[in-house]
Amino acid sequence: MNIKLLYQLSVRNIFRYKRRNIMLFAAIAVAVAGVSSMNTLIRGFQADMLDSALSNLTGHIKVHAPGYRDDPSIERGFLLEDGFQPNIPADKLLGWAPRIRVPAVIMSERETRGVQLVGVKPEAELISFLADVPIDGEGLSGTQDGRILIGAELARQLETKVGRRLVMITQGADGLNRERGFRIAGIYDAQGTGLEKVYVFTGLARLQQMLNSEAVTEVSVRLKAEPQKTSVKQLLSRTFVNLEVMDWQELEPQAAAMYLFADGAIYIWFILMMSALTFGLVNTLVATVMERVRELGMLRALGMRNRMVISQVVLESTIIMSVGVVVGLLGGYLIYLSMSDGIDLSSFSAGVEMAGMSTHLQPVFLVDDFVLVASMSLVLGFLASIYPAWRAVKIKPLDAMRR
Amino acid sequence: MSEVVVECTGLTRTYDQDSVPVYALRGVDVSIMQGDFVSLSGPSGSGKSTLLNIIGGLDRPDSGEVVVSGTRLGTLSESALAELRLHKIGFVFQAFNLIPVLSAQENVEFILQLQGVASAPRRARSTAVLDSLGLSQMSHRRPGELSGGQQQRVAIARAIVTNPALLLADEPTANIDSATTEELLLLLQKLNREQGMTIVTATHDPMVMGYTTRKIKLHDGMIEEDETAVVV
Repeated sequence: MNIKLLYQLSVRNIFRYKRRNIMLFAAIAVAVAGVSSMNTLIRGFQADMLDSALSNLTGHIKVHAPGYRDDPSIERGFLLEDGFQPNIPADKLLGWAPRIRVPAVIMSERETRGVQLVGVKPEAELISFLADVPIDGEGLSGTQDGRILIGAELARQLETKVGRRLVMITQGADGLNRERGFRIAGIYDAQGTGLEKVYVFTGLARLQQMLNSEAVTEVSVRLKAEPQKTSVKQLLSRTFVNLEVMDWQELEPQAAAMYLFADGAIYIWFILMMSALTFGLVNTLVATVMERVRELGMLRALGMRNRMVISQVVLESTIIMSVGVVVGLLGGYLIYLSMSDGIDLSSFSAGVEMAGMSTHLQPVFLVDDFVLVASMSLVLGFLASIYPAWRAVKIKPLDAMRR
Repeated sequence: MSEVVVECTGLTRTYDQDSVPVYALRGVDVSIMQGDFVSLSGPSGSGKSTLLNIIGGLDRPDSGEVVVSGTRLGTLSESALAELRLHKIGFVFQAFNLIPVLSAQENVEFILQLQGVASAPRRARSTAVLDSLGLSQMSHRRPGELSGGQQQRVAIARAIVTNPALLLADEPTANIDSATTEELLLLLQKLNREQGMTIVTATHDPMVMGYTTRKIKLHDGMIEEDETAVVV
């Protein structure tokens, strides 16, 4: 087949119907720019959701004693050997943190609230949201620090401030209630999220002393990359033989479902936009081909084979699609750049918080998504041109030339 | 003795027009020899264009047989017919039918490109044909920039550039003025006389018939007259 001839005919025919093809280019470019820029927002939403899920004291993988999730008390804790280190390769591990997390009641002079009292090693909490939030006052100095960190919203509800003392009641290892006064070291600001109302932090060793236990209730592991999760989970399952080793998707099924939905949303959005475009594309190509049916009939009468006529029509539409896709992707990238500082969603804070997102949406550019949009668009353009081309060669050359 | 280029035996062709059968050909037998310059004439509906199209493999008879340069057309697939038209038959249509996006030279080269002729010989052959038809000055003009007569000359150039065994022309002078018609007929006559090209043309035009060496007159799908002129 004479590719040069096909290319020459296709390109010249594209220029022959300038106005129509400019409209077609524009429609493709706008659709592709819309899809690709929307993808960056969906990916941003997905990344934010994942980060929120992981930072919410979950990590990629967590180890619990069996039954802890149904009855989260120190009695469902487990012992870690002195100097314990999880046997995870350094190139995969971002960090790990042992914790005690138990339900507690917190009381100020004026109010009482139910919270989660969390004993932490502050230096290990680089893997959780605690490392990122601004703190009014001081952070915890170490595992022996007997002060507490509370969230800004909880402080507002308890009508308290840094330096004041609060009383906490929780259940010890013997099943009896323990009560102790804690001074507020600092108040953390987690951007108004629900975390502020729930988590109260103190030193791990001091909480163990209060609960009269040497156990921890969880080990949280944060990895460098999401795909390493499966192999590390298997590794930890072999280390903690009698404990539950679960990944974030098992621990946060709602966030996991939303994460998967975001993946699907990319395809759904693409299919919706491009389906509408495809109808327009097929319609325009049919009109273009039918307008030239006499000419195509003449080419066949002269001896051009049907497959070459089909190739010419397909090549023509593929060139139009390719140019439209390139311009569209460029447009999509420029839209992404224009949003690179992120989008402020604070006006919708209640709604976005429910979706597990922060109020600042940072678009994420993934080359793979752009490649996906480009390749799917080209395949669609190719398929959309088959029908008009087939219609063109279905008409006998003689009948075509009589039109 | 001249070789037979076209052999038609018992050709019939019927069209349905509003469910009423229209008999375009009713048992036509004709042989066309190498070097013939044949006019197919007759009133509208006499079957001349149908016969021309069947000889060119653009239409198929309901019954009968056509042999072109030793090839039986009835047994050929659409693809094989396209191949035969590409290599053995040159076409000149009434409405010029040039490719509007190609220049005159590119139009002439088009068939050679389909045949897979390399760039240099292709250019040389198309240039030579355009020169011989007095079109060298217009070789880079597109059809829209040429007059009707010039377009038809380009169409003839395209039809003869491959040295086909048979040149078929359907009403080639229908859309051009008489001066240009004469010019074209002299050109076809020259091709016939000097190169021995076999030419079959369907026409209404007495001027065209005046130039042909064999005049076949059709009426109601049958050959009414078949007269060979003596060339002096």
